[in-house]
Amino acid sequence: MQRKVALAAIAALCIGLLALPARGGGAASVRAVWMEYDARYNTFWQQLKKEFEAANPGVTVDNVVVPWNEGHDRLVTWIAGNQAPDIAIVGTRWIIEFNKMDVVQPADTLLPKAFIDKFIQPALEARINGRLYGVPVALSARSLYYRTDLVKTPPQTWQDLLAAAREAAKSPGVYGIGVSGKKFAELTEYVYYLYGNGGDFFVTNPDGSYGRCRVNDAAGVEALQFMVDLANKDKVTEPNVGENDRGTLQDLFLAGKLAMIETGPWFGGMIQERAKTMPFAVAPMPHNQGKPQHTLLVTDSIIVFKSAKNKDAVVKFLEYAYRDGPRLEFDKDFGMLPTEKSVARDAYFQTDFYRPFIQQLPTAKPWPLTADWSKVEDVMWDAVTAALLNTKSAKAALDDACKEIDTARGIK
Amino acid sequence: MHARRSTRRGESSERRGAPETGAPLSHPARAGPHVSPGRGVIARAASRLTAEERLAVLFLCPALLLMAAFIFYPVGTTIVTAFGATDKLGRVRGFVGWGNFRALGADPAFWQIFRRTFLWTALGVTVKTSAGLAMALLLNLPFRGRKVARMLTVIPWAIPYPISAIVWQWTYNSQFGLLNQFLKSTGLWPHPPAWLAEPRTAFAANMAVDIWIGLPFFALVFLAGLQAISPEYYEAAAIDGAGVGARFVSVTLPFLRPVIVMGSLLSVIWTFNDFSVPYIVTKGGPMNTTDILVTHMYKTAFQFLDFGPASAIAVITFVTLLVFSLLYARLYFREVA
Repeated sequence: MQRKVALAAIAALCIGLLALPARGGGAASVRAVWMEYDARYNTFWQQLKKEFEAANPGVTVDNVVVPWNEGHDRLVTWIAGNQAPDIAIVGTRWIIEFNKMDVVQPADTLLPKAFIDKFIQPALEARINGRLYGVPVALSARSLYYRTDLVKTPPQTWQDLLAAAREAAKSPGVYGIGVSGKKFAELTEYVYYLYGNGGDFFVTNPDGSYGRCRVNDAAGVEALQFMVDLANKDKVTEPNVGENDRGTLQDLFLAGKLAMIETGPWFGGMIQERAKTMPFAVAPMPHNQGKPQHTLLVTDSIIVFKSAKNKDAVVKFLEYAYRDGPRLEFDKDFGMLPTEKSVARDAYFQTDFYRPFIQQLPTAKPWPLTADWSKVEDVMWDAVTAALLNTKSAKAALDDACKEIDTARGIK
Repeated sequence: MHARRSTRRGESSERRGAPETGAPLSHPARAGPHVSPGRGVIARAASRLTAEERLAVLFLCPALLLMAAFIFYPVGTTIVTAFGATDKLGRVRGFVGWGNFRALGADPAFWQIFRRTFLWTALGVTVKTSAGLAMALLLNLPFRGRKVARMLTVIPWAIPYPISAIVWQWTYNSQFGLLNQFLKSTGLWPHPPAWLAEPRTAFAANMAVDIWIGLPFFALVFLAGLQAISPEYYEAAAIDGAGVGARFVSVTLPFLRPVIVMGSLLSVIWTFNDFSVPYIVTKGGPMNTTDILVTHMYKTAFQFLDFGPASAIAVITFVTLLVFSLLYARLYFREVA
């Protein structure tokens, strides 16, 4: 009898364990994945969550903060395992890939027109075939930061840049300009030189779609050759460019070892926090003489996943998060440019620091929106590193890259 | 080994029969006539079991369920996916036969990574085994502070792999890292390389981290093996006039052999599959020259969303390690027998 009771108890326990619900029921919840901009990031979203939950009883927010470098792969893993969050911040360039998986809910089907009309035009990058798939959360353009004690006149062209780097590198323990050859979440530096030389990644077809890879044309090769020369011929960069990515280059600048670095608006806050006394200024991204000036424009967007169970709660949360107050606080905390017209008018952005960034927006170019971008970027990184390490010439590296990219994208 | 097994079986059957105890261990349902043919195979199988055995099966159930969910099902799905054409979510949309494997075979980058994985494993296991043995011999000697030394040995193994890898990534940094600072300031190497910037040094740097992390395991396992050897054997060998070298070759090594064989098999599997070190220290770079099969598989699946080829890489890794393990186990059990 005792044995039977024991068996029954064990069986009941097993069944009970198996029958446990995957998630607790009850209040509407929003599971949000935020890609980490810096150490204060978690605090920002936790504070917003606290305020939102106090203002909206019955709705909870579950914040998950993920480093940018791992964000894409983590999201893919969650999506593949049917565990996609309800909303997530993504690089806008990823949206087309996620959209191809049919997991993204068009934002304009959820949010009212008045909400979408708040944004400035360059920020609405996530518009695909007339539909808006992501709400802009961060906008940045890349600019040149320079040490005003080492560089007297801000360089406007590559030729000015080289001269300034040579001059600055004469100071002991200082390298002229940072160049990174280590893979990062985005193809830093090469894209600045490519766009600043009138180049592009793909031929644009008459219907607006992307055709063959074109980085191996004259503009693309000249851009890479300029970077290679900075590192290997003129030797005005930090040594061992292969070991640095954007993060470690920023550390080098903060440590006083770089005279110039090309990066985004968030870096101003980092300088003020970690190198308060460093004299610096910001200038528009230099371009090749005789070529039009273009810098890189990057947006990050919040996407809503189709699988989100409580879309009303999601909309409620987005409307709360997109009030001018939190948005201005977000831009201030993480050094982003404003994405909303009303926030852009704030006195905070009318300064010498922000002027070069905002001034470049009308001509700035975004990343190409293609579903195979992860592969393209990886191949491009290998090409840039190979040329910087002198494993291949700039031309050969980009020829090989184009061949591989076209094959990967199914272009014969 | 075989003898021990048969003893267990003997004990078991003895208990099962246990007529002398008179305890009615057999379930009434064991008798044929009580089982209706319609109850199926499971019922028939269950009817042949004693109550004790059924209890054992019941206890095994949760573990079996977990294994089915987390081992057999993923392995099976991966094998199916390896022969499939997949969408960006890894869902199989058709079958391509050996297509994914053929595509990998035609890719020179894959073969480079395949060869590099073998080099990585061979180097790592050889160094970890030999240095681990040397370390164990040292830690087995009586000296002041031996306990502290043994405790310190465990530290690299006790630290989570990703944390070690991140710490080493910074240690190697040529501008801010401790290693080059140390080499330069002591004059040991006035112009050390930027370890993670060049393919060869990056591979060596990754290898060193893998060895640093894995070495304590060998040292501890070998130390335990050494302590299990009775001092009488050494005394007898010494009486016979055997020197230190002869005692090591004729006493230590033969007694330690099963531990070395099993430890190195485990190390082959762990080193072959070591994801954390190459992925965190260099992310497989520069130019994928420190990628091994597992990092390549991860990138193929989760970065490029090519789940078919990624599953094919997983199957190749699985089969390679399975064949190796079977050969090794055969060798091991033949020796033990």
